[in-house]
Amino acid sequence: MKEVSYFPGCSAHGTSEEFDETVKMVMKTMDVEMEEIPDWNCCGATSAHTLSESLSYALPLRNLVLAEKLSNDTMTIPCASCYQRMKATKVHMDENPELAARINTAVVGEGNYEGKVAIKSMLQYCYEDMGLEAIKAKVTNPISGMKLACYYGCLLTRPKAITQFDSPEYPMSMDRIVEALGAKATPFDFKTECCGASFSISDTDIVLQLSGKILEMAKESGAHAIVVACPLCQSNLDMRQHDIEKKYHVKYDLPVFYLTQLMAIAFGFPKAKMMFAKHIIPVDSALAHIGEVIEEPKKPVKGKKAVQAESEVE
Amino acid sequence: MITLSYKGKNAFLEAVNKKSGADVLECYQCGKCVSTCPVSNFMDFPPREIMQMIKLELKEETLMANSTWFCLTCSACSGRCPREINIPAVMEAVRHLAIEENFTPDSKQVKNIRKFHEIFLDMIKRYGRNYELRMMAEFNIRTRNLFKDMHLAPTALLKGKIPLGVKPLKSKKAIKKMYEMAEKLEKQNK
Repeated sequence: MKEVSYFPGCSAHGTSEEFDETVKMVMKTMDVEMEEIPDWNCCGATSAHTLSESLSYALPLRNLVLAEKLSNDTMTIPCASCYQRMKATKVHMDENPELAARINTAVVGEGNYEGKVAIKSMLQYCYEDMGLEAIKAKVTNPISGMKLACYYGCLLTRPKAITQFDSPEYPMSMDRIVEALGAKATPFDFKTECCGASFSISDTDIVLQLSGKILEMAKESGAHAIVVACPLCQSNLDMRQHDIEKKYHVKYDLPVFYLTQLMAIAFGFPKAKMMFAKHIIPVDSALAHIGEVIEEPKKPVKGKKAVQAESEVE
Repeated sequence: MITLSYKGKNAFLEAVNKKSGADVLECYQCGKCVSTCPVSNFMDFPPREIMQMIKLELKEETLMANSTWFCLTCSACSGRCPREINIPAVMEAVRHLAIEENFTPDSKQVKNIRKFHEIFLDMIKRYGRNYELRMMAEFNIRTRNLFKDMHLAPTALLKGKIPLGVKPLKSKKAIKKMYEMAEKLEKQNK
């Protein structure tokens, strides 16, 4: 059995409870024991680094110091924003010990940062530490027939210097995982476009515009649903979808799943445990495709001339 | 170095470079950042122009621009920048300088964005974690827009999408102390 430290993040107790719950199911199936960081605090998200450099490092640093007190060498984080803040803090602290010492003075009474815990997003942990073969081996209820647009958002693979994972332009790790579950990943160009993130509350129009484009492209790719691994992406694409439809006079009806919800379904957990009731766009229409046979586009028929040319060669 | 630098006369450029760790002079104005940026159409000066304004020492104009407040730090620009400049870090440095020197763009949007971030940080100071419902309510009250997103409230609350409470931290004192210390560090760093 593997062991890993776990940083759930504020949204795991709020808007993305279903992400947290299904992460636990997936980890249990994959024989990974998770140890939650005791008394963790908010990473500061976008707001801390917008307004204050010191706070943007100090808030995550306290969590990093707390993580070092546990015996695990890796910490995994489901929320893309928490992941980005913690990893950025780690990279900057490791590069610049003087900065680390200065920021450490704000983390009162928890000890010194040493930099010995690796930080991975939930997606990265599934892809690198569990591995596609092991995931495939646990699938008892393949979700074949579903066509899914895998949406990574901006923070899981960018900037490359911080995340050091997958491609910042056209990542494929999530696509490979949903394929291991039996589904088909659609070719989707807006994989790493930004959804508008925290402007959801402070300037909603920006989110409607940016998330609207993502929904449009996902629909165009032929997907039945979108898969995400970030709570803010989920709530922008799901909770704001009706507003987007209304503003641009369109109809998408695209459910937005967390990757781990689909993994848990494929691992045989009952649908009732996925907390689908919390989704604003109902998921049933997408789940109804499970078991369907997807027709591959036919290979182009060879013309007479091509056949003739081939026979001449022979 | 691509552009001429005016040694000794470029205090603003040097301040931005020092704060961001980037070298703005590397920019050769290709504009790839503008075409990549998902919010450049909301900015009064897109990233390419901000870079040039810094080079030209247009300090006030740069600090008063709404651009840095709209930057989402999505890093799409820096990933595609042929000069590999960390543009989000430059944007952030300019924003921090604007806060330090009390330059606030005269725009309702920017004021709302700033207020949102202040409320968010206030939630962490009080609870150690973000209290989503309270944050949204305070934002509506403090921006005097009580009915914003109210149409979402019935579904979001009934479906349990947004919980009513928050699990506060045990060591709230440590967070309060951290805020005090961070403020001191910020002042030293000026």
